[in-house]
Amino acid sequence: MTTTDIASAPVGGGYDRLLARRERRFASALLAPAFVALTATTTFPLLYLVWTSAHRVDLAMPFTNGYVGLENYAVLLADDRFWSSLLVSLVYTGSTVVLQVVIGLALALLVMDMKRGQGWFRLIAILPVVLSPAVVGMIWRTFMLAPEFGIIDFLAINAGLGSQNWLGEPKLAMLSVIAIHTWQWTPFAFMVLLASLASLPDDIYEAARLDRASAWQRFYRITLPLLRPAIVMVIIMRTMVALTAFAAIFTVTAGGPGTATEILNLYAYRKSFTELSFGYGSALAVALLIVTVLISGVLFALRRAK
Amino acid sequence: MVYEPTRRTLLRSGAAIAALSSAPALIGRALAQDADLAPYKAAKIDWQQFKGEQITVAVIPASYFENLITLAPQFKELTGIDVRFEKIPPAQIRQKSVIDLTSKTGTYATHAADPMYFALYAANKWVEPLDTYLADKSLTDADWFKLDDVIPAWRSADSVGGKLYGMPYDGEVTIQVYRKDLFAAKGLKPAETLEQYMSNAAALNAPSDRVWGAALRGVAGAGQNMYIYPSIFREFGGDWMKGGKLTVNGPEAEAALAWYVDLMRKYAPTAAANWNWPDIADAFSQGTVASYIDAHSSASVINNPDKSKVIGKVAYARWPTGPGGKRTTSIWNWGFPINAALPDKKKKATWLFIQWAASAETQARTAHRFAGPAKRSGVNRSSIWRDPDYVKLMNGFGDNFVEATMQSLEQDTDVDWRPRVPQWPAIGDTMATAIQAALSGQATVKAALDDAQKRIEPMMRG
Repeated sequence: MTTTDIASAPVGGGYDRLLARRERRFASALLAPAFVALTATTTFPLLYLVWTSAHRVDLAMPFTNGYVGLENYAVLLADDRFWSSLLVSLVYTGSTVVLQVVIGLALALLVMDMKRGQGWFRLIAILPVVLSPAVVGMIWRTFMLAPEFGIIDFLAINAGLGSQNWLGEPKLAMLSVIAIHTWQWTPFAFMVLLASLASLPDDIYEAARLDRASAWQRFYRITLPLLRPAIVMVIIMRTMVALTAFAAIFTVTAGGPGTATEILNLYAYRKSFTELSFGYGSALAVALLIVTVLISGVLFALRRAK
Repeated sequence: MVYEPTRRTLLRSGAAIAALSSAPALIGRALAQDADLAPYKAAKIDWQQFKGEQITVAVIPASYFENLITLAPQFKELTGIDVRFEKIPPAQIRQKSVIDLTSKTGTYATHAADPMYFALYAANKWVEPLDTYLADKSLTDADWFKLDDVIPAWRSADSVGGKLYGMPYDGEVTIQVYRKDLFAAKGLKPAETLEQYMSNAAALNAPSDRVWGAALRGVAGAGQNMYIYPSIFREFGGDWMKGGKLTVNGPEAEAALAWYVDLMRKYAPTAAANWNWPDIADAFSQGTVASYIDAHSSASVINNPDKSKVIGKVAYARWPTGPGGKRTTSIWNWGFPINAALPDKKKKATWLFIQWAASAETQARTAHRFAGPAKRSGVNRSSIWRDPDYVKLMNGFGDNFVEATMQSLEQDTDVDWRPRVPQWPAIGDTMATAIQAALSGQATVKAALDDAQKRIEPMMRG
C-alpha cells in the first residue's frame, strides 16, 4: 500500500493505524451499496425460499396454509417422483458434461492443426452457444426431431432406422434432450480447450518428439496433464449449468413423455407454478440447491487435490 | 351494416385473421365513428355512471378476442370507461392471473378465465360472485341482458356452489370431424359408438398411403390430453367423485384410458402423442388424418383456403357414445370474472364491461355482423345460434356443423366432465402426466392411473 508507506516513515505507528482505519471505513462505505444490493437480490430471496419451504403454501387450499417445520422435507424424502427426477437430473448432467468435454476436446485437437479456416470454424461453432435455450428447444422440436418431417428423422429413415418417435418414446426422449444440450454447449468446451491448447509451450512437445514419444503418449502424458485445470474448470461450470438447466427441456418435452425427462428443476417448477403448491416447490428447490452445492464442492475439492 | 355471408367470403375470412390483427386500430376507428349505440341504450341503466374509470383486461391472442378489442372504442363511447387490453398466450394466462390474484394488486380487472379455475378462485375469494351485480337494477337491466339466453352449460361450468363467478364470452364443444370422401369410399358412417370409432379408424388407416385413421390430442397438459380424456372417462361410466372422494383409477378409468391408448397407438400418427389441436388440424388439412375429435372451433383452421387441401370434404358429428350410451362433450369457455381486489367503483365499471361484452348485441357484432374477415364460431347466446344469418355463415364450415355443435351443446354437456375442485391445477397436471405416461408406454394403463391416484390423495387432504 503506497499510502501507508509514505505515512509510516515520518510519524510512526499511531498515525499509521489511524490512516488504515480510515481507509477501511472508506472502503466499507464504498462497498456498502453493492453489498446491500447484492444481499437484497440474492441472499434475501434465498433465505425467503428456505423460509417458504418450512411452510405449507398451497393456493388450492389456502385454509391449510401455515408453518409446518420440516414436514415438506419429510414428504420429499418419501416422494418417488423426487428421487426419479433427481436421478434424471444426475444422468442428464453426467452424460452431457462427459460428452461436452470429450467432443469439445476432440474438436479442439482437430482444429488446432488446421492451417486454414480455423477462424471460420470457430465462428460457426460458437453459434449454438449464443442462441437462447428456448429457441434451441423450439428448433429441435419442430425442425429436427418431428417424426416424418424433421431433419434427424429424415436422416434416420434414410439410414434404414425407420421413423422414430424421438420425443414421444421415454428412452429416445432422454437421448434427445441430452443430444440437444450437448449440441448447444459443446462449442463452449471446445473454445475454452482450444484457447488453453494454443497456450501450451511448444518446447515440451519438441523434447517429447526427440525422445520418440508416440502421438498417444504425447497426448496422454503431456497434453492432458497440462490441460487439466482447463478441463476441470469446464466440468465445474458445465455441471452447475446442466444441474439447473430448464428452458430447453421445458420447450422440447416439458419433462415428458410422462416423467421420462423431468429433471428436478422442472419438477420444482411444476409443483410451484402448475400445482400452486409453493411450500413443497420451495423445498424441492432447496434440495436442488443442496445437491448443486455438494457436487460443486466435490469438484472444487478435486481441483485442489493435485 | 349489411353483411351477406357467402361460402367464399367465409373461407377467405379464415385466411385473413392474421392480416386483421395488424390493422385493428384502423378498423376500430372506422367502427367507432359510425357505431350505432341505440341497441345498448335500450337497456334501462346509466352506462355513463363510471365515466373516467380505467380498467385492464387480460385476454388471449385469438380472433374472437381481437374482434372484441376492435369494438372497444364503442364501449368507450358508450360508457366513458377506458379499457386497456393485455394479450397473454393461453399457456401463461392462468399463471399470470393467479399471481395477480394472490398478490391482490388488482392489475387485471377481469381476465379470460379457464372455467376449471373458478373453484380455486372462489375458495380463495379472489373473484366476486356475479349475482349481486346481476340483481342490482342500477347496474343491470335483466330484461335487456337476458342471462337465460347465455348458453346454460357454460354458465354452469363457470359457477361454484350454484353461484355464477364468470360470464361466458366465447366457448367450444368437442365434436367428431371427418372426411366424408374417405368415409364414403369405404361405405362408412360417422361413429355412433366409441367401438365404431375404433373400427372406422381401423378401416381408414393406411399409413403407407400417408393416411392415418384418427387423431386425438396426446400432448401432456390439463388443457390438452386432460381435455379429451375426461369425455372418454365419463362415457365409460367414470365418476370423478366416487363416494365423495376424488377417484381417478378403477375399472372404468382403466377401460377409458385403454381405449385412448389403443386408438392412438394403432391408428394415429406416432407424433400425435405430442400433438395439440393445431397440429391435428394441420395434419387433417393436409389430408393425412381421416377423422379427429376436438373443438368445433378448429373448423376455421381446416377450412383455411391457404393451407387446407380438404375444403368441401369435411363433415361433422357428435361424440360417439360410450358403453353406457352416454355422449360427453367438453364444456370449455372463456369467462370473465370480477377481481375482488379492486375498489368498489372499478368493480362496477368492470361489470359494465362484462355486461357489454357478453350482451347479445356485442356477441352479434363480433360474430356474423363483424366487419372484419374473422367470424367467431363460439358465441355465447342460444338466440344467435338460431339466427339464420349466423347459421348460414357457420354452415360454410361443412356438413352438419351447426347441428352437431348445437346438439352437443344442448344434450351432451355434463357439468362433472372434469373434477371441479380447487385443487384442479394440480390434479389436471398429474392426470396429464399419467395419461402421457400410458400413451408413450412409460407405464401401463393401470400403473399410470394407480400412481396418479396415489399422488392425488395427499393433495385432497387438508
